[in-house]
Amino acid sequence: MKLVIDNLSKTYANGVKALQNVSLEIPTGMFGLLGPNGAGKSTLMRTIATLQDADEGKILLGDINVQTNKHSLRKVLGYLPQQFGLYPKISAEMLLHHFAVLKGIAHAGERKELVGALLQKTNLYDARKRHLGGFSGGMKQRFGIAQALLNSPKLLIVDEPTAGLDPKERNRFHNLLSEIAENIIVVLSTHIVDDVRELCTQMAIINQGQVVLKGNPLKLMEGLQGKVYQKTINPSELKSYITHYNVINDKRFLGKPRIQIISDVPPGDGFLAIDTSLEAVYFSQINHQN
Amino acid sequence: MWFELFKFELKYRINRPETYVFFGFLFLFSMVGVDFIFQGVEIGLMKKNAPLVIAKTMGAITGIFMIMVSMIMGVPVLRDVQYDIEPLVYVNPITKRDYLLGRFLGSFVVLLLIFSGLLWGMMVGSLMPWHQPEQMLPFNAFSYVQSFVVVVLPILFFGASTFFVTGMLSKKLLVVYTQGLVLFVIFLLTKAITHEYLQGLLDPFSLTTLTQVAKDWSVEDSNTLGITLHGILLHNKLLWVALGILILFVGFRQFSFSVPAKKGKKSAVGDTVMVQENSNNDHPIPKVSQQYGYGAQYRQWFELIKFYILSLLKETSFWAIVICGIVIIISNSVNLGTVYGVDSFPTTHFIVAELQEMSLYFFIAILLFYSSELIWKERTIKQYLLNDAMPVTNVMVLTSKFLALHGIYVVLMLTLIVAGILFQVANGYYHFDLKVYFSGFFLEILPFLTLYTCMAFFFQVIAKNKFIGIFLTLIFFIVNVGSEFLGFHHSLYKFGGQPLGTYSEMNGYGHFLAPYLWVKAYWLVFGSIVIVLSALLMNRGAITPLRKRMGTLRHQLIGRKGLFLTFAVVVWFLLGGYIFYNTNILNTYWTSEQEKAFRANYERTLKPLEYLPQPKIIAAKLAIELYPKTRSYDIKGTYQLMNTTDKPITAIHIQKRLASHLDLKEVIFEGGAKADSTHSEFDYIMYHLSTPLPPKASLQMDFKQSFAPQGFEHDPSDTQLVYNGTFFHNTLFPSLGYNKKYELHHPVERLAMGLPQRSNKATIENENELIIARSGSDSNGIMLEVTVGTNKDQTVVAPGILQRQWTEDDRNYFHYKTNHPIINFYSIVSADYEVQSAMWKPADTPSQPVALEIYHHKTHTYNLDRMMESMKASLNYYSKNFSPYQYQQLRIMEVPRYADYAQSLPNTIPFSEALGFVLDIDDTTDVDMAFYITAHEVAHQWFGMQVEAANVQGKNFVLETLAQYGALMVLKAHYPENKIQQFLALQQEIYDTKRKRATHEPSLALVENQDFIYYHKGAISMYRLQELIGEESVNRALQQFITDWRSYTGKLKTQTDRYVTSRELLAYFKKVTPKHQQQLLHELFETNNELDE
Repeated sequence: MKLVIDNLSKTYANGVKALQNVSLEIPTGMFGLLGPNGAGKSTLMRTIATLQDADEGKILLGDINVQTNKHSLRKVLGYLPQQFGLYPKISAEMLLHHFAVLKGIAHAGERKELVGALLQKTNLYDARKRHLGGFSGGMKQRFGIAQALLNSPKLLIVDEPTAGLDPKERNRFHNLLSEIAENIIVVLSTHIVDDVRELCTQMAIINQGQVVLKGNPLKLMEGLQGKVYQKTINPSELKSYITHYNVINDKRFLGKPRIQIISDVPPGDGFLAIDTSLEAVYFSQINHQN
Repeated sequence: MWFELFKFELKYRINRPETYVFFGFLFLFSMVGVDFIFQGVEIGLMKKNAPLVIAKTMGAITGIFMIMVSMIMGVPVLRDVQYDIEPLVYVNPITKRDYLLGRFLGSFVVLLLIFSGLLWGMMVGSLMPWHQPEQMLPFNAFSYVQSFVVVVLPILFFGASTFFVTGMLSKKLLVVYTQGLVLFVIFLLTKAITHEYLQGLLDPFSLTTLTQVAKDWSVEDSNTLGITLHGILLHNKLLWVALGILILFVGFRQFSFSVPAKKGKKSAVGDTVMVQENSNNDHPIPKVSQQYGYGAQYRQWFELIKFYILSLLKETSFWAIVICGIVIIISNSVNLGTVYGVDSFPTTHFIVAELQEMSLYFFIAILLFYSSELIWKERTIKQYLLNDAMPVTNVMVLTSKFLALHGIYVVLMLTLIVAGILFQVANGYYHFDLKVYFSGFFLEILPFLTLYTCMAFFFQVIAKNKFIGIFLTLIFFIVNVGSEFLGFHHSLYKFGGQPLGTYSEMNGYGHFLAPYLWVKAYWLVFGSIVIVLSALLMNRGAITPLRKRMGTLRHQLIGRKGLFLTFAVVVWFLLGGYIFYNTNILNTYWTSEQEKAFRANYERTLKPLEYLPQPKIIAAKLAIELYPKTRSYDIKGTYQLMNTTDKPITAIHIQKRLASHLDLKEVIFEGGAKADSTHSEFDYIMYHLSTPLPPKASLQMDFKQSFAPQGFEHDPSDTQLVYNGTFFHNTLFPSLGYNKKYELHHPVERLAMGLPQRSNKATIENENELIIARSGSDSNGIMLEVTVGTNKDQTVVAPGILQRQWTEDDRNYFHYKTNHPIINFYSIVSADYEVQSAMWKPADTPSQPVALEIYHHKTHTYNLDRMMESMKASLNYYSKNFSPYQYQQLRIMEVPRYADYAQSLPNTIPFSEALGFVLDIDDTTDVDMAFYITAHEVAHQWFGMQVEAANVQGKNFVLETLAQYGALMVLKAHYPENKIQQFLALQQEIYDTKRKRATHEPSLALVENQDFIYYHKGAISMYRLQELIGEESVNRALQQFITDWRSYTGKLKTQTDRYVTSRELLAYFKKVTPKHQQQLLHELFETNNELDE
């Protein structure tokens, strides 16, 4: 089974082109959708998750046409949105039960067992009687994944799941995800390069509504092998370097700009070749565009 | 700095559409404000733009729109919380004082601008052409401004302060929605206070206060005096303004300029136990099945309903509303069919009616708020992205929410029923009529709520936010209720149809039920269409404009939903067609305009024939077959008609009773006659006699009349023929000549139709009316013989002596016959009765023994002894002091509560089940009203049956006031003096209240239809008179009066064809009054001087 996104476009009423002719083919496994804030990731995710309609193009999961047969897709969908709230005065267990009902798990015994197992899995079992209003960000996120897994989805959409989580929570979350992703399609959108590097076998970079790069992260990195160079410079020189070189990234190192460039030939001029990274791939695409 | 915030607030509001919507709505509403607030209220000669009317309207409209005040004033601080920008705002270098002052004043100014819509709207409205010029004073802008400043401004300030503070401190939107309601609840609570001053002082909208201010105003004063701040109004306004300031001050002290989310979280973080870190890979996720079959869907539905009910029960505000409701119901004085201060037994239908009335407002509040809450909850808490991606259909979600709300209604109703039963138990009453409880709530209230919930859901679905949704629902409510006022009545287009008719313990819901159920079914099918459409239009995921959602309707309609909708629309049309067939084809549907035009036309065409000499009925013989189950009858009748004039009569005019499905046929006159159908459109046929009827001669007229209702009418309010408790008068039969009762009565309607003013009683000099005893009377007394057949389980009571009673063809037959003339006004009743009988034997008077009977509904046995006792006591007193009783029987027959009176007819007294049968009389605290009313009616066997009064001014003084006197004397003979004083004090109170509302007050001698004069003032005046000159003297005068004026045999009556008037009666009183008290006599009866207490 594959998720096929074919030529998807969406323009908002205010003129923002959120998606422009996006085409992707997403196989089983973890797929990373990388892009800066406002790139159109969430629009794409919501569109896949049947919560929004595109102006043009179509999405197919196997033979389910997502746009016209939302209900069928929803049966096999798990969705963890970027931001969401929960009934504050209801316990985790009860709300998860509610979601299980919504997902069509009609048998009460099965439901009970399932809810218990998922609460265990997401480490919320001890907090199951507590009102959701008192949950921390990480607990909420784990609850979110628990509800997404209720129907053993074939397609799992997770939108920026680790934003705002502390490193420990993030690790735990990654473990959970990769465990799930073995036999299903997981689309993970993020602006954190490390997330993709750690988890995904396939990825795409999206910027300003367009897919600018797609492929296997390792292969993509290989493409840049030996072409990335780095130099620490004075702040006043930054402008001239930008005009002369293909600068993909400038960070600070000990208070000074440290720039990375891409060059097919060694640039000299004090630049040192460095190992390529997925981050370099990402920035090469994003900044190239800008 | 505060000024900057102030300006910001103004600018913000100027860009908000609500500001204009509110203003526009208030403006438009206020244009019809007076008509809306005062609809159905008789304001007498007060003009529609009198300052008092303006002030009350303004107060009431402000009250209704308090929710607007709360929506404007509650949000300024809340807004920052809602948009999560409070941390950004609060860290700025502004002081709390500047922040709050800017926000408050800014919003308050906007509030004033919006509410100025009320002022302008009422001004413009008063200039609209739809008013009758004589109902208006010349336009005076000052009265409006004055009322606005005095009445509206203070309460706006109070509302603004309170709502600002509660919104600011609670930071919950729902509080903002609810608090306008809470103030209204306070207003309702003040209604329960019995202390007059306190009630006026505490009424936030000053309605009671204004009533008290104008307590002593004459009509003239009400039209001229402006509303100024003094007396109780000043105290009232000072109190509320002071409270407003106090609340602002407290709010200011309480408000903390820090992000309060912390506070909420603290406790939460406190109990966040760090969860044990252990790998949970050893918990495999069990394999489960997702099911979408019918069984699964049913279970899913059930679970969802349960969940949504629970989520509502978790709302604090829900409990706030419920507790408010309980407080009101407990604190409200329960009115249980009170008759002259005496409560009835807490029978179930009284309790249900009370509970319905008190709880309805809360049901509506719950409907409004929680339909919005249910629809918007997931979106408000931002959980919608999770829910909306679930494999559950919109129809499933919406219907489960819909049913969850119904679950709440049902639980509340059951609670109310339990409360009602507890109330009955507390009062020692144990006949719980569960059927009545259930039908009262689940048949009368629930369908109403269901229908409006459908609409509320629809409006919430199409609205951009819940706030607009609530508003649209409210507007729909008001427009639907108001449309009735504009003449939109028909249940086919008036949403929801009409409420169910009165419940009677004798007749149940009777024939009201079938049309009610058909109409409700029709609208419920419509409601289901609305709900499914709402489900199709429901927003899922990202907000999509309504237009776009409508665009998707077409391809959503294929499949099951489309099939259901088509089916529902077909059923809806079929039901509508069936209703239309019944109301408009089988029956004639009259719009009120058509009816008015018909009546006006009747009067214009036929009025010239009003006093055309016609013969009088001297005998009637009737054979009536009643079919209560179908509410139909067949009558074969014979009249003996005699020419009592001194000229021959050439034509007899017969007026058929105007009603559909009523057939009058085979009208045959002895000697032959030719029918002239010139006026047949009014069912008025003129029969030209082949040979004129000479003076003193008589002829026989035969007729057949039948009535067979078809289907159901739009307005099934005709209650003469019912399943159990048929009660009709001889007005049902053909009458002679012009019939005044078909004229339009209401002065405004008459004016609109271009008809001259109509006095409700002829003057005491009117020669035409002096010779008749009732409007359009066809007789000076008749011999009656009547045979009535009815259902096997029913008994018929008619005037006269029961000759024979038999059963034939499984039907009961009764043959009654009078042995001397009776007045031509009598009734025939038929119901499933039980009878209590007794015998009254006169002690030392020449009267014959009298058989006493009370025909009653089987459970209404509470006061039979009192009534029987009263009949005996009355017969004793009257026959001893006035004259002998003229019949050998006296019967009381209970009739359904549609008629809410008792009435005396020849030897029969129809007595409403609403009046004396279920009164719970406590002899230590109450006056025995069952006893009194019976005595009053028995007195009419003298004043009304023995002596008839001319149909002119003062008629009711002769008949009603004397009956009051008689009853009072019987009461006096049986009960201690303090009961009499208690009774008189109540009469005084009613008199005082009613005379204030009256357009004018004649003296007793010239009284027209003013019941507060002939009943209440009459009782007091007669009591004074007997104190003054002695009971003995009064009775002596009455004795003489009857001897001289009794019909058929009176010394003076036999010498004249005219009837007695108040003038003659007063002459008898004068004769027995000493000289020095003549002036007082004059004051009591011939002036409208106030009665000093």
